[in-house]
Amino acid sequence: MALSRSFVLGQHYPGTSVVHRSSALVKLVSTIVLMIGVFVATKTVQYVPIVLLLVAGIGVSRIPLRFFVRGLKPILFLIVLTVVVQIFFTPGTPIWQFWFIRVTREGLGLAGFILCRLVLLTLVSVLLTASTSPIELTDAVSDLLKPLSHIGVPSAEIALVMSIAMRFVPTILEETERIIRAQVSRGARIGEGSLVVRMKSFIPILIPLFVSSFRRADDLAVAMEARGFRVGSPRTRYHARHFQSFDAFILLGTAAALSGVILWRLFL
Amino acid sequence: MSIDLKNVDYVYDSGEPFEYFALRGISLHIDDGAFVGIVGRTGSGKSTLVEHLNGLLFSTRGDVFVDDEIVSNKRTVLAKVRRRVGIVFQYPEDQFFAETIFEEIAFGCRNYGFSKEQVDESVHKAMSIVGLDPERFLPLSPFQLSGGEQRRVAIASVIAMGQKYIVLDEPTAGLDSGSKLAVLAELESLRQTANVTVILVSHNMNEVAEFCKQVIVLDGGTVAFQGSTDAFFRDADLVDKTGLELPESYHLARALKECGSTLTVNECSTGRMLDSLRLCVSDQGGA
Repeated sequence: MALSRSFVLGQHYPGTSVVHRSSALVKLVSTIVLMIGVFVATKTVQYVPIVLLLVAGIGVSRIPLRFFVRGLKPILFLIVLTVVVQIFFTPGTPIWQFWFIRVTREGLGLAGFILCRLVLLTLVSVLLTASTSPIELTDAVSDLLKPLSHIGVPSAEIALVMSIAMRFVPTILEETERIIRAQVSRGARIGEGSLVVRMKSFIPILIPLFVSSFRRADDLAVAMEARGFRVGSPRTRYHARHFQSFDAFILLGTAAALSGVILWRLFL
Repeated sequence: MSIDLKNVDYVYDSGEPFEYFALRGISLHIDDGAFVGIVGRTGSGKSTLVEHLNGLLFSTRGDVFVDDEIVSNKRTVLAKVRRRVGIVFQYPEDQFFAETIFEEIAFGCRNYGFSKEQVDESVHKAMSIVGLDPERFLPLSPFQLSGGEQRRVAIASVIAMGQKYIVLDEPTAGLDSGSKLAVLAELESLRQTANVTVILVSHNMNEVAEFCKQVIVLDGGTVAFQGSTDAFFRDADLVDKTGLELPESYHLARALKECGSTLTVNECSTGRMLDSLRLCVSDQGGA
């Protein structure tokens, strides 16, 4: 339970809002475009169109804010590290100095910019994965890759591999906790002692995990074939999705945000 | 010396909207040297209870005592408690990782700082308790054994540590009937020879009737019954209310009574019932 709790990035928050109900393909494309937009911007202020769209999306989705805050936790260390490096190691006009430590105006500006960039990238992807179930998401990836199947990319298989991988993340986390409990009961001390001892202490967890994962994969392959799955044969979908008016809103909003960033960068 | 629980609550997601009482006001007592069954329908809190006994989970309220020591998450206490209480989890063969059976069983002993000779001795002893020939099996890989043999090696890997209390969560699940009885008989002999307290979590009421003198019945996270196994199975209403089944021998004894039979049978277990039936029949044949 503890392990699965800290695994928010890539987690689904079920709901019935328009954001939840709109097409996964549209949301995926929109997410990718917004991420491009985040990288196109060269100044913090140019993020405004993206922030506006994101705030609107989060508001409409009715997903609680603390869910997004939790999604930021895994990258907290990365954020702190880059911000600190930017603040202290950017040359420019000093505004505060002590001994060899110096903070420059450019450093502060750059740190703020990078902070916004990382937070925006994360929040955009949390909004996507929170409002879209893993199955819808893989279907969307498969749709997105479909044009590539003409040049020999096995898009349906890639999507299947992804959906199986996502499906088994919670299962394997649970299995890991089960094995840890068992080995701890046999006196194993995990993550204690010197680096070498610590690395060695993971062997009794990793090997059983590999063994059971291979066994699970075998069982799954047999079960799928028993139900008529053949590689390369066409598959149908249980949930057929139709384009809705809100999908058009999302696409328009995204296009507006990206053009906003580009225009701002070029002309202001 | 004993294991005692005093008013133990365990709450998942305490304080959150989906908080859920897995255990509620559990008080129980397990004597040294006993063979105790823990039974209850799926979701009654058996596994959660078991994980309190060696400090894998800590009670939300109330105290767990192992030999008068309160189980807490202090490192010294945990080391002491885990040294006393061994747990064999469901499907324990899923924990195998070593190259040989010897290494597999020695893992726990080494973690507790046994000397080389002590490790050797404990491994051999544990193998003979579970009825596997050390000379033949110890150099093999645990992965090349049959299901029943794997289960025994897994049980040996816990009892080799020589703990005072051994908790087994469904040790016979998925075994053939011969291995089932053999494994339980080995535990009973371990209890008698080494005075180890055996705590058996089981869904199989025939096993419980056969081996456990005392039983703790859980229902919805509370203790529904605690005492002699025979007294529990004689209370057919309570057995039904807690979602359990009567052992075959108790079914048969009831059926006999309903037919108006005057045979005096011992229904405590299938084996004892057969013995008493044979005795009755030969008496009648004699008369």
